[in-house]
Amino acid sequence: MALSTLAWVTMLLSLLVLPGVASVALVRSLRTEERKLELLRAQGSVDSYSPRALADLREWVQAHPNDPYATDARERHNECVRTLREIDEPYYDWSPEQIENLETIDR
Amino acid sequence: MADSEARTAREEWGSRFGFLMAMLGAMVGAGNIWRMPFTTGQNGGGAFLIAYILLLYVIAVPGLMAETMVGRYTNHGVIGAFKRLTESKRARGLGLVVLVVNIALMSYYAPIIGWALYYAGHSLLATFTQPGFQPQAFWDGFISNPALVIGMHTVTMAGLAGVLVFGIRRGIERVVKWMIPLLVVALLAVAVRGVTLPGGMDGLAFVFTPDWTYLTRGSTWIAALSQALFSTGLGWGIALTYGSYLGRYDDVPLGGGLFTAIGNTSIGLLAVFATFPVVFAFGLEPSAGSNLLFISLARVFPELFGGALWAVVFFVSFFFATFTSGLGITEVGVTSVSEETRLSRTGSVLAVCGAIWLFGLPSAYSSSFLGQMDFIIGSFGLPLATLSIIALVAWKFGPERARVIDLNRNAGIYIGSWWNPVVKYVIPIVMVFIVGYGVVGSIGTENQTLMILGVALMAALVAVSMAVMGVMDGMGDTPDPASKGGD
Repeated sequence: MALSTLAWVTMLLSLLVLPGVASVALVRSLRTEERKLELLRAQGSVDSYSPRALADLREWVQAHPNDPYATDARERHNECVRTLREIDEPYYDWSPEQIENLETIDR
Repeated sequence: MADSEARTAREEWGSRFGFLMAMLGAMVGAGNIWRMPFTTGQNGGGAFLIAYILLLYVIAVPGLMAETMVGRYTNHGVIGAFKRLTESKRARGLGLVVLVVNIALMSYYAPIIGWALYYAGHSLLATFTQPGFQPQAFWDGFISNPALVIGMHTVTMAGLAGVLVFGIRRGIERVVKWMIPLLVVALLAVAVRGVTLPGGMDGLAFVFTPDWTYLTRGSTWIAALSQALFSTGLGWGIALTYGSYLGRYDDVPLGGGLFTAIGNTSIGLLAVFATFPVVFAFGLEPSAGSNLLFISLARVFPELFGGALWAVVFFVSFFFATFTSGLGITEVGVTSVSEETRLSRTGSVLAVCGAIWLFGLPSAYSSSFLGQMDFIIGSFGLPLATLSIIALVAWKFGPERARVIDLNRNAGIYIGSWWNPVVKYVIPIVMVFIVGYGVVGSIGTENQTLMILGVALMAALVAVSMAVMGVMDGMGDTPDPASKGGD
């Protein structure tokens, strides 16, 4: 029995959104590790948040200064800012202007 | 506790590939190979796949991100993670619930790995292509021989202990790095052989031809929800435990969430390609479950050209799928015991594997007992474990806090605030709904007594676990939010 067009479409779409996406995720994940290791070997540290993620973290710390986790969050934020100032090549897509405008958060 | 923290040197995965293969190996198990193909065919084929894939992306992927993140953030196993994220002594009991459910799950999964090992061994001896081979008699002879089944259960637990004793990097990682790629290659090879058999395409037509009316049926969505939640191992403590061994610069959402959930289902899809063409080409009963593998498919190999080789490829890969799941499930207990007691890694492995071996004896002795355990743990224990872990993120740590502080740290993909309501409301509601649907559906059926027993057992487990953790915490440490976090 030959497959109907609809069955072919369903099968190909399933292959695309399951093994297709899984393969892309695997390759991307392995490449990011390779890239981070390269940067770590060259400069000793890597920025740990993307611009959007760091902005979220900053907003959260400023909105919840007395949260039990605020100290930890502030440390992570400030550590990322200091790293970005120290390293030559960020891992995430940071522009020099964005890095220039970053500030650490004091209590 | 502080004593044991100082004593335990925390390992890390040796490579990203090792972690990803371990996660995939833990989540891909017997259910992917014997359950997913039939569930797909039974519930409208392509229509079921659409419902399933949708729910997989909406629920399982965010849920696995949450669970892996908790492990990475706390750098502890299930009990330690609960201790670090909640000040409530009673809530900490839920960590013990997850641990007990895992050991109960493994107690009846280990004999199944033993079955797979027995068949893999006989495939290497070319038993299935011997003249006069009778698959039903072979299966009956095996399963009705308690000494043999218990022997395989014992060998399985010894094998798992033999790997786990070497730890994360030199034990689990070293094994999964070749077992999982081989499993994928083997399933691909069987799939190619299957679809090229005369009549093989009928199997694909059965699975992939969508019957849209199924999308209007509640049962299709329930089946899709169950498959999306249970086949990915969400909330069983495995992702949390494996995540606790991630390094500082490792990503969680891309690998621990997206790749694990989608990769696991991709292997289920591969199993569809590997089994259904063969089932249809040889006119087998597609709803046979475990019998499909051990009886129906065993009958096919003598009729295939190069059948002895195909039997090896199929049964050895099935053994790999179950064994790597066994590693993940058992490691949940090993990590927690080594962190919470004075036992060394070796002592913890021996204690946990010994306990699982002992508790697994009734399931190894009686298939009927195994089935009852599967019903109780699958219907009530695992959802309870999932709810416990998701509740930890959703209601104790808080999804927004988790997302901004840790989930997006070193992440391969950015996770937006859409994630918060999914973790906080959607997953818990769906879990409660599935359990409630199962309870209502059991009323008036032959499973009613088991259902009542299961609900009562789980209620007792929660009460006892909370009491035990309350007493133990009274003698030990207190939470220290300032010391949370995994660097």
